[in-house]
Parts: sequence; C-alpha cells; structure tokens
Amino acid sequence: MIAGVPTEFHPPGPESFELPPIISGVEWFTKPVLVSMLSVVVIVWFFWGASRKAAIVPSKLQFAGELGYNFVRNSIARDAIGSAEHMKYVPYLCGLFFFILLNNVAASVPLVQFPTFSHIGWAYAAAIMSWVIYNVVGIRKHGAWGYFKHQTMPAGVPVWLMPLMIPIEFISNILVRPVSLSLRLFANMFAGHILLLVFVLGGEYLIFEAGSIPLAGVGVVTILMGFAIAGLELFVQCIQAYIFVVLTAQYIGSAIAEDH
Amino acid sequence: MSEHEDPKPSPPNSGDGWRVLSYLIGGVLLYGGIGFGLDRLLGTQFLLPVGIVLGAGLTVLLLHFRYGSRS
Repeated sequence: MIAGVPTEFHPPGPESFELPPIISGVEWFTKPVLVSMLSVVVIVWFFWGASRKAAIVPSKLQFAGELGYNFVRNSIARDAIGSAEHMKYVPYLCGLFFFILLNNVAASVPLVQFPTFSHIGWAYAAAIMSWVIYNVVGIRKHGAWGYFKHQTMPAGVPVWLMPLMIPIEFISNILVRPVSLSLRLFANMFAGHILLLVFVLGGEYLIFEAGSIPLAGVGVVTILMGFAIAGLELFVQCIQAYIFVVLTAQYIGSAIAEDH
Repeated sequence: MSEHEDPKPSPPNSGDGWRVLSYLIGGVLLYGGIGFGLDRLLGTQFLLPVGIVLGAGLTVLLLHFRYGSRS
C-alpha cells in the first residue's frame, strides 16, 4: 500500500463468516439457516413438481428431475453399493446430494451468496449422519463383533503384519473418515468463499479507495480474476457435493460388503 | 459387487483416491501419535519423526496389499 492513503484495507478473515441474526433477538436464525431452509423448499418443489404428473412422455421438469435422480441412483449408489442392495440407500443419498449441492451453489447465487457448509457445524452434522448410517448398516449386517472385525482386518495382508495394520485400519475407517469427510467439504467452501471475498473486496478497494490510477487498473484486473474464481468455485461446489455423496455410498458399500 | 446383471459394467471406483487419503492420514496420525507419546514419556526427540515415517510407510504397504492386487 502506498503511504498517505487515508483508509486502510482490511482483508477478509474468519470474522467475515460471523453474520448477525436476520431478525434481531432470534439468535439461531442466521443466514446459513435461512439458506438451508430455502434449499429444502426448492428441492421439495423441484422433485414434487417433477414427479407429480409423471408421464410416459416426460415434461421438461420431469425429465430434469429424472436426470438428477438417475445420476445419483446409477452413477453413485449402484456403482458403490452394488445393484442388489443399493435401492435402500438411494433416498438418503439423493437427498444428501441435492441438499449439499444446493447449499454449495448458494455461494454463487446472486443476493444469497453464502455457502452454508462454510460453517463447520453443518459439515460435521452431515458427516456424522453418514457415519452413523454406515456403521449401523454394517453392524446390522455383520453383528457388532463381526462388523468390527470386518472394518479392522485388512484383506490380503500377511499375518505377521496384521498387528501393525489393524490399528491403522481402525483409525482410518472409524475415526478419520467422518473428520475428513466434514473437513473436506467445510474447507473447500470456506476457502472458496474467502478467496472470492479477497478478490472482490480487494479489487473494490484498489479501484475506489487506493487513490491512484495505475492501482485502479490493477483493481479492474482483480475484479475480473474474481469472476474467473467464481467460475472455478461453481465447479468446486458441484465436485464437493459429488465427492461427499460418493464417499458416503462407498462407506456404506464397504460396510455391508461380504468379506473378501 | 453382486452377480445380478448390470446394464453396463461399472467404471473403476472414482472414490478410491479419496479413501486412500483417509488411510494415509490415519497411519501418520496413529504412528506419529505413538512416537509423540513415547517422546514425551522417555524425554527423547527423535521418535515423532520416526513414527510419522513409519506410519506413512506402513500405510503405503497396507494400500499395496489392499488395492494393489486388484487387476
């Protein structure tokens, strides 16, 4: 920064995510809560509308709904869980996928522009839900001890290495999975949003407040870069929703798989 | 996978790479943690890095047995 500039640039930080309640006095009703509620309304409206007048020759809405549903059912659930048992989990996976997708994409929707999962509690909640489900279905299938053995005995490892491998398997399958699941989603959303804030607020500062023509030029470039980042973010938002659901499906699939 | 007919052969599992990540974190965390604990207990300095490297190495070995033999 050049000397003598009256206002100083405050880079965005974690405090940029601490939003006041929308209605003062109602502490829990913040923007992420509103966005998630809206996303549920949109999802219900979309799938209800798509399936309400189901016809052999589908309407555009029905076609779009079936496309999304088929994608989750065939490309995620069936591939990871297997065609014998996957249908039981499709409702959860489908709901999870579209909930995460819409809440991520909310970061790029004008006027909304906030990714719900950049608050880590949301990511924890989603990961815990998946964690409970894959453990419960595994225990149901194999029994508590059988499931424990199933999750901690790595296949194909020589017996003398087992004592060293079993703890790794346990830590990774039972403890690291939910943490990595939630941190991956949270960190991607948090980092993407903060990156956008840096580019847009930085560009705005350079253009309007830095007070010099060359810097204003740099600011224009910065804003343009911000648009490019926004495009990249749209990609990341979809990928993260996909990864979360694919991994959930794979965890379920490996929990109910027969011993190999 | 089941024997039921699949309309199309399923592609290689796209999430394997992400699952491997949790193994790597788990191995390093576990044996690094053990090294850290032993360092604290014995007052030494070198066991934490030894544990981290050992954990990473063992995890790679585990991954080799787990995923490597799959054709």
